[in-house]
Amino acid sequence: MTATTSTEHQHDLDTERGCYVYGVVAFADDLIPAGMAGLEKAPVRLVRHEAIAAVVSDIALERPPGRAADLVAHSEVLDALAGSTAVVPVHFGSVLADDEMVVEDVLAPGYDDFVHLLEELEGRVQLNLRATYVQETVLAEVVAADPEVAALRRHTRDLPEDAAYGERVRLGELVSRAMELKREDDASVLMDAVTPYVAAWSERGSGGGLDHVVDVALLVDTVNLTAVEEHLEGLAEAVHERIRLRLVGPVAPYDFVGGAGWA
Amino acid sequence: MTQTQQRRGGGYLERPAPSGLADVIEVILDKGIVIDAYVRVSLVGIELLTIDARIVIASVDTYLRFAEATNRLDLYEKGGKDLGEFIGDMQEGGAAKKTSGAVKGVKKAITGGGDDEERRPARKTSSRRRRTEEA
Repeated sequence: MTATTSTEHQHDLDTERGCYVYGVVAFADDLIPAGMAGLEKAPVRLVRHEAIAAVVSDIALERPPGRAADLVAHSEVLDALAGSTAVVPVHFGSVLADDEMVVEDVLAPGYDDFVHLLEELEGRVQLNLRATYVQETVLAEVVAADPEVAALRRHTRDLPEDAAYGERVRLGELVSRAMELKREDDASVLMDAVTPYVAAWSERGSGGGLDHVVDVALLVDTVNLTAVEEHLEGLAEAVHERIRLRLVGPVAPYDFVGGAGWA
Repeated sequence: MTQTQQRRGGGYLERPAPSGLADVIEVILDKGIVIDAYVRVSLVGIELLTIDARIVIASVDTYLRFAEATNRLDLYEKGGKDLGEFIGDMQEGGAAKKTSGAVKGVKKAITGGGDDEERRPARKTSSRRRRTEEA
């Protein structure tokens, strides 16, 4: 069967049901907690192929997933599983026709890669760490360090917004460059303090606002989770005058399975 | 050294539960392996403004935002320490010592005592912009 989209085949999809795929795990009998529900509150189950299995639930194709509740359900299923087993997350919104197709198109052709990846992820979870500047403090450093910035600031700050446009742009440009240099330095100091304690890390590339320093996914051995959290708490305390640290997780290892499709 | 397992009560590290939609989007958007799906859906009706708001390009607009932020400052100018000094303080501080002791254990456990064995280069996500694949 070839790939279709809901718009091209609206009529077919009105009555069809599909198989929504959350991720891939090493098969075990008691993996899915009783009563675990996924998208549309459908029961979550396993589709097994040899030593691995896809985590799936049935879904009505008349209403493709993509709502807020669907995103939340997708992440809740994966994060709950990640607490007890290694799991390879699948991209949100992936639906196959039926169980046979899950085996034939995903589990069988990707088998060796899945097994390898699951071994690598065994006993590990992901934490997302973001560092942002305490903007007032860091901007004050910039003003204090550069006489031209200080002079431009004195000149423009009490003028109406539409006055001194050229000076404002120049001020912003200088501040922006100074912040960029600080960011590079601070990001590398922070990462040096963090990376020795994690199994792997990956930049999350969220772009970043004016206050952005670091946004990174950390792969952490579960046995060390508490110690890593304590280390980060200590780090947050040490840098809190200039930088705020925000930690989300543990979550499923979304950033450590590669982005490309190989199944 | 005695291992203390108590949770630090300092609370400097923000620990939001990833329950809000913006947090969930941020964690899972464009993440996970891509399979050859029968039906692949887009994020219908999801508010993606939170993502767009974070994209910053070097432009006059950005500069003006920096200028405005700088001019809003209520300056209390003071000598700044650089970050390395703060972190140095942490490692010398009494309370932090327990932490760094525990962390040394972590490092040993992860790397087998060596340095950086398992460190990987950062991977870039393929394309953050890809979010709608069907109309």
